[in-house]
Amino acid sequence: MRQVAVTGVGIVAPPGVGKEEFWQNIKEGKSFVSPITRFDASAYPSQVAGQVKDLDSSHLSRRLLKKMDRFSVMALVATEQTLKDAGIDLVKEDPYSVGVFLGNTLGGWLYAETELRDLYQEGRNGVSPYNASAWFAAAPQGHISIYYGIKGYSKTVVADRAGALMAIGYAVRVIRNKKAAIALAGGTEAPVTPYALLCCSTEGSLSQGPYRPFDKERNGFVIGEGAAIVTLEDMESARSRGATVYGVITGFGTSCDGTHRIMPDQDGRGLARAIKTTLDSAGYQPGDIDYICADGAATELGDVSETRAIKEVFGSYALEVPVSAPKSMSGHLLGASGAVDLVGTLLAMQEGVILPTINYRTEDPECDLDCVPNKSRPKEVNRALIISRGRGGINAVLAIERS
Amino acid sequence: MANIEERMKEFFAGFLDMEPAEIASQANLRDDLEMDSTEIVELVVALEKEFNIQLKDGEITNRNCVSDVVKTVGDKLG
Repeated sequence: MRQVAVTGVGIVAPPGVGKEEFWQNIKEGKSFVSPITRFDASAYPSQVAGQVKDLDSSHLSRRLLKKMDRFSVMALVATEQTLKDAGIDLVKEDPYSVGVFLGNTLGGWLYAETELRDLYQEGRNGVSPYNASAWFAAAPQGHISIYYGIKGYSKTVVADRAGALMAIGYAVRVIRNKKAAIALAGGTEAPVTPYALLCCSTEGSLSQGPYRPFDKERNGFVIGEGAAIVTLEDMESARSRGATVYGVITGFGTSCDGTHRIMPDQDGRGLARAIKTTLDSAGYQPGDIDYICADGAATELGDVSETRAIKEVFGSYALEVPVSAPKSMSGHLLGASGAVDLVGTLLAMQEGVILPTINYRTEDPECDLDCVPNKSRPKEVNRALIISRGRGGINAVLAIERS
Repeated sequence: MANIEERMKEFFAGFLDMEPAEIASQANLRDDLEMDSTEIVELVVALEKEFNIQLKDGEITNRNCVSDVVKTVGDKLG
């Protein structure tokens, strides 16, 4: 079976735009959650978010920018980064052998909300004709494929907060099945808008204060915006062209809880099945795993059920293996979160570091895993799992290995 | 008409993020300026605002050249 290598990373996230800034900031365990400045959020229960500042999109023309929502712009910036990082010039590649695989949850609400306001205030002539192609979840895939002339097998995955990991898992399968030679895979999300924040707030999972996964005082997650896109290719072709290999994606698994429209199964049985499937697909035993990058939703049931799932699969080793939620630093990037976690974990593996769960204060006996509280920890990590979970009981797990 | 043509080239340049000198009278909106149908919708609304005129559906299409648009708008302005 073909081994799938990660040969480039692109990251636009609250801790940093570009891998250097992103890595420098997350390894220090800082918080990049701050009061929302894009609009007046004073009437909302949650008034904080992880926001991307200083987004440089100057390589894109104004003519193009006016047609796109922020989630597409961030995806295009991340794509430019990942291709440069991988040393790939798509002009020289067969466009039919390149694909785009992205996760997204909400679509382009900043654009859509503005146009809806204009519709009601000015009538139909007030609405930009580009709204039709700017707001929907697959818009970033379309813009990336048009911008780079990509014509291969591609897909956008809408699976709530598991979207990016699902998209990456799908892309891996496409490379393995030789349907594509290069896949640009990840996710993008721009939820810092009045309507998107309102929807997230009414769902009941948002925190009013710090984002504290696995902490007894946890009260939900905080939204964050950004995009993360990795370049995937067959290991043999990556080696033959002398590419830098960040790591290898060795397994993927997914499952549905089938219990509730929002809440996960309280015992984490669905997630446990997804973890087992992932380990089996990678050919790993539980003891082979050095680190787990958790979903860490910081909801009452989310963290307890995730802990139970890990214990069910890992047994007594569950209390030894580090399990952290670095998204406590950036906010939860929803349909992009799995890709951000992948990039963070790959960079951490390169440096021999485990990223922390920040804002951690109070132990919870029901979440008694080693969540690497507050500070990064030096540790060699050769094999890791990444977990993403979405509303409605969607579970996705990725296995990666240091090359 | 000459004034309208100059004004139109300025208008197109701003609209398409180009220089006025890059806008040739015979430039085809679709083939040379690479305008798609949604850009034509935006163009029509923008022209109506800029020149305070009303354009019917189909009066300007992406098969037109810049000079066709100059004539259509010029005729409306009398």
